[in-house]
This record gives sequence, structure tokens and C-alpha cells, in this order.
Amino acid sequence: MTAAVQAPTKHRRRGPKWGLAIPSFLWYAMFFVAPIAVIVVYSFGAKDSSKLVPVDLSSPSFDNYGTVFSETFFKVFRGTLQIAVTATALCLLIGFPVSYFLAFKVSDRWRAILLGLVIVPSFASFLMRTVAWRIPLSANGEFSQWLQTWLIDQPLNILGTRTAVFLAIVYNYIGFMVLPMFVALDRIEPSLREASKDLGGTRLSTFASVTVPLAGPGVVAGVLLTFIPMCGDYITATVLGGADGFMVGSLIDSQFRGSQNWPQGSAMAVLMIGMVLLSLAVFAGAVWLGRKALLVARPLVDSWRRNRAEALVAHRALREPVQPKVRKRDGVHWALAVWTSLVLIFLFTPILLMVRHSFNDAPSFPVWSGRYSTVWYGGEPGRTQSGQPMTGLFEFSEMGPMLLWFAGIIAIGIVLPRLVAAVRGKRSALLTKWSFPAAFVVAIIVNGVTTDWYRSIFMNAGVGDSIRGSFIAAFGATVMAVVLGGLCGVALARHPGTWSKVMMALLFLILVTPEIMDAIALAGWFKRIGGPFQSDFLGVVPFEMLRLWVGQSLYASAVVTLIVRARLAGIDESLEEAAGDLGAPPRRAFRQITLPLISSALIAGGLLSFTLCLDNTIISTQISGASSTFPVALISATKSEIKPFWAVGALLLFAVTLAMLAFLANVLRKSGDSSSQIAATLTGS
Amino acid sequence: MTTPNEPMRMLAPSTFRQTLSRRALFQMGGAAAGLAILASACGNDDEGTDTPAAGGTDTTAGGGGSDLLSQYSNVINKSSGQLAMFTWGDYNDPEIIGALAESTLGVTMKVDFYPSNEDLITKLSSSGGASGFDIVVPTGPYIPQMVEKGLLQKFNKDLLPNIVNVDPYYLGRDWDPGNDYSVCKNWGSTGWIYDKTKITKPITTWQEFMDASAGEASGRCSWLDAGPNVCAPYFWANGINWTTEKAEDLDACEEYLVGNIAQHIKAFDSYPSSALAEGAYDLSMAWNGDARQAYFRIADAGGNPDNWVWGLGAPATEIWMDTYCVPTGAPNVEGAHAWINWLLTPEISIKDLNYHGYHSGMKQIDKLITELSPDLLRADMIFFTDDQVKTMETGAVNSAQDRLIEIYDKIRAKAAG
Repeated sequence: MTAAVQAPTKHRRRGPKWGLAIPSFLWYAMFFVAPIAVIVVYSFGAKDSSKLVPVDLSSPSFDNYGTVFSETFFKVFRGTLQIAVTATALCLLIGFPVSYFLAFKVSDRWRAILLGLVIVPSFASFLMRTVAWRIPLSANGEFSQWLQTWLIDQPLNILGTRTAVFLAIVYNYIGFMVLPMFVALDRIEPSLREASKDLGGTRLSTFASVTVPLAGPGVVAGVLLTFIPMCGDYITATVLGGADGFMVGSLIDSQFRGSQNWPQGSAMAVLMIGMVLLSLAVFAGAVWLGRKALLVARPLVDSWRRNRAEALVAHRALREPVQPKVRKRDGVHWALAVWTSLVLIFLFTPILLMVRHSFNDAPSFPVWSGRYSTVWYGGEPGRTQSGQPMTGLFEFSEMGPMLLWFAGIIAIGIVLPRLVAAVRGKRSALLTKWSFPAAFVVAIIVNGVTTDWYRSIFMNAGVGDSIRGSFIAAFGATVMAVVLGGLCGVALARHPGTWSKVMMALLFLILVTPEIMDAIALAGWFKRIGGPFQSDFLGVVPFEMLRLWVGQSLYASAVVTLIVRARLAGIDESLEEAAGDLGAPPRRAFRQITLPLISSALIAGGLLSFTLCLDNTIISTQISGASSTFPVALISATKSEIKPFWAVGALLLFAVTLAMLAFLANVLRKSGDSSSQIAATLTGS
Repeated sequence: MTTPNEPMRMLAPSTFRQTLSRRALFQMGGAAAGLAILASACGNDDEGTDTPAAGGTDTTAGGGGSDLLSQYSNVINKSSGQLAMFTWGDYNDPEIIGALAESTLGVTMKVDFYPSNEDLITKLSSSGGASGFDIVVPTGPYIPQMVEKGLLQKFNKDLLPNIVNVDPYYLGRDWDPGNDYSVCKNWGSTGWIYDKTKITKPITTWQEFMDASAGEASGRCSWLDAGPNVCAPYFWANGINWTTEKAEDLDACEEYLVGNIAQHIKAFDSYPSSALAEGAYDLSMAWNGDARQAYFRIADAGGNPDNWVWGLGAPATEIWMDTYCVPTGAPNVEGAHAWINWLLTPEISIKDLNYHGYHSGMKQIDKLITELSPDLLRADMIFFTDDQVKTMETGAVNSAQDRLIEIYDKIRAKAAG
């Protein structure tokens, strides 16, 4: 080997450091800062309902703020805050033992399974899951009747009360609390807890002085992830809570849509975001104060602890050497296991009920008729072939021959590849892979089992279209979010500077702004800028879809950015530098080094944003036109009657989302991630 | 309110029994002729099960109706393409917006729902004439505002020949005197439904309704979910027209409802029928069609519908009329006309009525019902007597709107505790 290696050309970065973040900056300036600024301007105007945008800005004044500073607004805001704080505390109390159990008390295998079980329910339509709670809570329902035979003498009276409000909110947000806390707990080095025990710490003192402080960031993340959306959410609470679920979001919504009073609604929205920020500041202040107090008290506590530990060690030294503790399954373990199971039952109850009621042979989803709408060839809905009412999903007398057929066809599907292999002496990959699923499909077709609502969903053009709309909208928004978030996340992790503080502040604002405010700001903004948001772009891109893509991409792209940034921050930059040193131009280094590094973060972020977009209700409701999405269509149905086919739609959406989730978990596992790492990626930490 | 041009007749179940036997007689003779008429009316419809008359009734009923049905215009215009309708939840027979529209007219329907007129207006105006909808269903008083904002387009009346089937009483209303933009879809009224085993004192007036809400039904009652409707019981109980714009009326209303009633209301629910079946309320303020549904839902859920009492609001109550309109910029104007015109044929109109239980404004509707849907249950909750209709007041969107919503928000804030 000669030393005639050509000196590599050092590629210097051209342009500003934050080049990769430019798209995000433009995007947020255009679709977040500007619309919100317009809303702020509107709040100084007056109502003029003859205009399309019913705002008259000819004589700006503070009148709206004067009106809004009324008793009603503060009363409702106080109520909302009360509900949000209590519900956050409940989520924390209920969720912490679950996170603790998952992080410390189970094997890796069980951790993956349980973690999956905690996450999975959040991927079913939140609205439908919440509505499904009406089933066990209804006064005339089976559960209430069952309770009445044992425990209570009056029918259940939970729907339309504060209890129902808390139940709905805790149910919907507890996942967002458990996940970040789990990640934080899971990151605690086991050696720290062991050291505490070796030093004579009891279980309680280890928990109090090691585990809890180290879990702090996770708790803070969980509180932020639950508290902020709760403040702006006005849908969840009303579905179960009736009049008791009146939140400040409803008040703002009623100004914008009810009385078309945009100026006053804007003033309320501005005040609301101010007050949410204020409550966060109070929260941050409390955390800061608590830490200060701890610092002041630490010397005292430490000296007390040292004395006590010395005494303990001396005491133990007299007896026998400390044995390393073997983790045993004691009372605490079982208590935590039971608690976690209860929480899982809590999470899955509505989904299971949703499945049953998707077969409900009655016009109303929550009111169980006692009959299944299963249809047999030649039969009527809810009746067997011989015309008897069906009391079970399957009647066994009818099922006998069918079961045989079913089992027979599936057995053929299983045996066939082996038979072929035996005859040919060679396995056919195609047959091995497909014969079982094909047999399953054939068995279903041959037996002709179908059910009314499942059939009618494809005839009900509205529902079918809304499901399709949901997927197209979520897909487009996810692509936007992944591109924007990926680029911006890389820039944040690799080229930080003053600009990154601005960007982080912007991202934080996007995450904390109540959705209702974005929704209204965007609705007005799209009308103002017109163009492709007012008429189909080049006659190809439907403008409603473009609106949905943009609207849903805001929150989603912020989430992706944070996930990518967190992922990259944990990886040494030397790889990319090495590529640069070896002569790779920046673009090539990005493609060949950076992109593979962040691929798992992009997939995780993409999936998370996809599900966020599928569930997006408030923004989509305000900005979408004819091609509405599933939650938009469902939210109007909740105001009249919910037919069982909505459950069918929700379950179809759920099934597709789960398939994607399984795909993602598979990809991530192939890239060598453990379940803990997958959870960490999902929460962006 | 003017007296009806054509007197309404109340359709008590006994009427049905008479006409049933009459119908049986007709069936013997006219079946063949009736079928022929139906077949020509429906175009080349070779699937017997899909003919409109087969929906809620037996096809032979058409035979008896040949005399009656021939008095109506039965024009059906074929169309094509997709038709997007934006309407209230659960407001059309699924077949009429599904398979039947496709087989009869050749259009595929796509339906979205909105919960309030304001939502409709917000959505139409935020897309500035490019909402993509072909048919919308606003309530009458909102039409002038929508016309002013340029959200609606004028009908092409040549494409709506069946408009002659509508009782003139439901045409030419204040909000659209020439029916240039709108034609009656359905109309209805407001009242209450309560469980007499829980509420022992009978409710016959709005004052008694409010007293019960604050008394026996405290914490177990629902009111409608819209500002003007929530304030209206106070006005009706006190002899004030609910379209009042007087500040003192509105102030008194606020004082009474916020002070005495709000804290007792469990929910604001415009469609309480399902929740009634769940056992969520003992007393509900409800629109007549939904209250009628409640009877069926309660029976479905294993309850006893006989325990429930329906009452039409008194001494005064509302009359609302929802109308079919074509929004500006509708992609399929011709299809929209074809569909609306189809809905104005007697068979389809009655089939639709059969589903949701609201009066469709057809002329001689009582005769149509006896011909086409003799088994209609609880007809007294769909059709009202002349005396009842006289007590019904049309709503208005006027300068009081903002104030009413403000009062409503205060009531909701108080109700939330």
C-alpha cells in the first residue's frame, strides 16, 4: 500500500446552521403564528354578522375583554381548572403504581406484553370508547341491574354527574401519564436502588429518596401531557358528564359557532391560553420552590440519615453480614399486580363492550337489545334460520354443522402445505405462507356469516366515506409531519444555537395551545388566504383535504420533531463527522448515516402522529368541509343518536391501526430495541 | 300566525282502524292498476323489492292508493354522479339516502351531519362557497341570513315540479315568501316526556314543566341543547312570544332560569331518546319526533313505555320547519334538484316520515298515511290538531340571539356547579 491516498475534500456546511429547520419555521409561521396573531387582532374588533368573517375591525377596543372578564368566564374557567387538576392528580395516583410495577417488578417478556396492553386501547377512537362507557353506567343497563341484586337499592346514577366527568377524563388520559413515568422509572440504574438498600435503606426510604426523585422528569412530562390537553378538551367530559361536563372550551366554541361572535370568542381564547400558561408557571414555580426547599433542608436530612444509617449498619454488623437481597414476590408485588390488572380491565372494558354492541340488534348503540344482529344466509337479522330470536351471538344448534365446515376448511388449509411437501419432497413457500389465511377467508365465505351492521357500514356511504377520509387525512398529515419533524429534529440535535431556543419555545407553544384556539384560528386563516385552501388546487388536491393535512400536521410535526431530536441526542455525532472526514458531502452523509440512525424515530413518530391525526376532532371539525373524517362525523352523531354501525366503523379503524402498530413494533424490534426503548421512542425521551 | 289554508286533521288510531277495512276492500280491485302506475312512476324498475312503496308497506297497498296517488305529481328525474348532503343527524330513511337513491335516481349519496344551524352556517361560510355540499337542511328562520351571506342559490323551479304536492300552508313562509331558496322538508314542535312513576304531579304547561324540573325531577331532567330553546319555556309560560327582543323580558328570563332552574338540570340534550331508554332522565324537553322515538327505544331496552307521558308544550310552543336548500357552489346542482323533487313524491315522503316521525308537509297527509303507512305508531305525536297548531310560534333569528346564547352559557355554567 502506498501512501498516495488523496486528501479528502473537507466539505463545509453552507448556509446557516438551521437550514434544515427552515421548512418548519416557514410552516409554523404560516399556519400557527400568523393565524393566532389574527385571532389576537380579532379580539379587539366587534361582531358584524353580515360579513362572511363576522368581524368589524374599524374601531378597535378592549370592550371584548371587559365583557369576557365576567363572572361566567371565570366561573367556567375555575371549574375547568378544578376538573383538570383533580383529573391529573387521579391519573398520577392511579398510573404511578402501574408504571412502577412495569418498570421494576416484571420480567422483560411480561413488560413488553403489559406495555402493549396499556398502549393498545389509546389507538381506538377515543370518542367511541368514551361513548361505550355509557353501556355499563346506564341506570337501566345490565350492570346496574346486577349491582341492584347485590349491592345497591337504587339504579346507578353516574351518567351526568361529576363522577362521570372524572371517569371519562381519567380514562382518556391515563395512558399519557403511565408511559412517560414508565420511561423515567425504567431509566433508573438498578445499582442506585441496590446501593440504597445496601446502605441499609428500607424499602420505603429507597422509594422516597431514590425512586421518586429520579422519576421526577417522567412525572412532570406526564403531568404536562395530560393537564394541557385536558384544559382545552370539551368533548370528552360532555359525552358522559352531561351538564356537569361544561368546560371553558365549550364556552369559546359557543361564541364562535353559537352566536357567531368571533371577537368575543377570540378574546376568550386569548385569555384562556394566558391562563393555561399562568397555571403552568405556577406549577413550574411550585416545582422550583420544592427543589429549593429540598436544597435548604438537605444538610439537615442528610446528617440525620447518616446517623441513622451508621446506627443501622453498626446494628447489623453485630448480627450477620448483609446478604444480597433476592427479589421475591411478596405482598407489595401482588398488590401492584392486582392494581395493574384492575387498570387494564378499566382500559379494556369499553372496547370489549364496543365489540359486543357492534352486533347490537337495536337502533341505538348503547342500549343493548339482548339480541345479536348476526345474519345467516336465508335468515333475518337477529333470528336463526328457523326464525327463532337469537339470544347468543351464535346459536349452538345452528352452529353445529357450520363449525364442522369451518374447522374442516381450516384443517385443509393447515394440512395442505405439508401434504404437498410430503408428495413433492419440497416445501412450497407460497403455500406455507398463504394457505391458512386463504382457508380462513374461504371458511367465512362458505359459511356466510355476516352481521347486519357490518354489512350496512359499506352501504352507509357517510360512514364509509368518513373512514376513508380519516385515513387519507391522517396519511397526508403524517407525511408532512415526518418530513418537517425529521428535518427540524436533526437540526435541533446537531446544530443547536440561539435559533434552537426560539424553535423549542415555538414547539412548546404549539403543544400547549388549546386545540380549540388553533382550530378557530386556522378556520379563519384558510378563508383569508384562499388559494388552494378555498378551491381545489389544479383541480387535483381537494381543498378540504389540504386543510386537514395542514391542520393535523401542526401538533403531529411538533411531536415528531421532539422524538427525532431526543433519539439523535442520544447518539454520538462522531459517525457523521467520520463520514464528513472521509469525504462524503453533507447530503450524502445525511442520507447514508443520519437517516438510518433516525429511521426508528421517524417510524415511531410517524405512527404516533398517524394515530393522533386519526383521532383529531376539534381542529378537523372546524376546518373540514364535505369530506369529513370519522371523529367529525361521529361527534355530530353523538349529539343525536349513535347507531351500532359507528362501533363497527371504530373497530375497523382500530383494526387497521393495530396492524400498523404491530408492524412498527416488529420493525423496531428488528432494529434491536427492547420494549422499554420502544416506549421511550414513543414518548420522545 | 295565520290560520291554515287547508285544515289539518288529527289522526287518532281509531281513524286508522276504519280506513284499514276500507283499504282491504280496495285491495281486491285495484292492485293491478296500482302496480302499473307505480312501475311507470319509478321508471324501469325491475327489482320489485326496491320500489318505493315496498319500503314500509306491502306493494298491494299501492292499488288502493291509485285514486289518491294520481292526484299528486309523480315526476322522477334521473340524474347521475355523487350527491353530498349536509343535514341533521338521523334525519332520513337510510334507504332513501342509500340504495334506493342509487337505483331510482342513479346518484350515490354521501351524508354528513351537523348538530345546529350555526354549525351549518359556520361550515358553509368558512369554505366561502366551495363546501362541496349539494343539499343542506337549515331551519326556516336562518334562511334570510344565509341568503344575505350568499350561501344559498336559487332553485331552478322547472326541476322541482313535485313542489305542488306540498300543502300551501307550508309554502311561502316569511323567511322565503316565494320559495326561491327553500322547500319544506319536515316540521315539528317541542314538548316534554316524563316518567309518571317518578313524577307524580301531571305536567300540562311549561310552568309545570319548569316546576317539575326544579322539583321532583331535580338532577334527573334534560333540556334541549340550544340557547333559544332553553330560554323559550320561560317566555311561553309567561305569555311572551319567544322571539322577543325586549331587554326586560330577556333579563327576567335570565334571572328566573339561572336563579331557580339551572342547578337542577342534568344535561342539555337535543336528542334524549336513547338516554331516556338508558334511564338517564325522568323528564326531558324534546322535539316531538325524538320523544316519539323514545317510546320505541324504551320498549327496546326492556322498559315500559306506558309509564311515559308525552305532552305538547302549552300554553304556547314552537313550530320549526327544516327546509331543503341548495348551497352556492354545489357541484351537482341538477342532481340536488332531482333528489329534492323525488323526496316530494308522496311515497318517498311518507316512507321518510315513517322513519323519523316528523310531518313532511304533504297535502292531504292524513289520507296518504292511511294509504301508505296505516300501521304508523303514535301518530298523535306527528300530526297535531288545528287548535294545537294555533299555539305554535315560529322562531326568529334576531337581535336577541347573542343575548340568548349568553343566558344559555350562564345557565350551563350554573348547571355545571
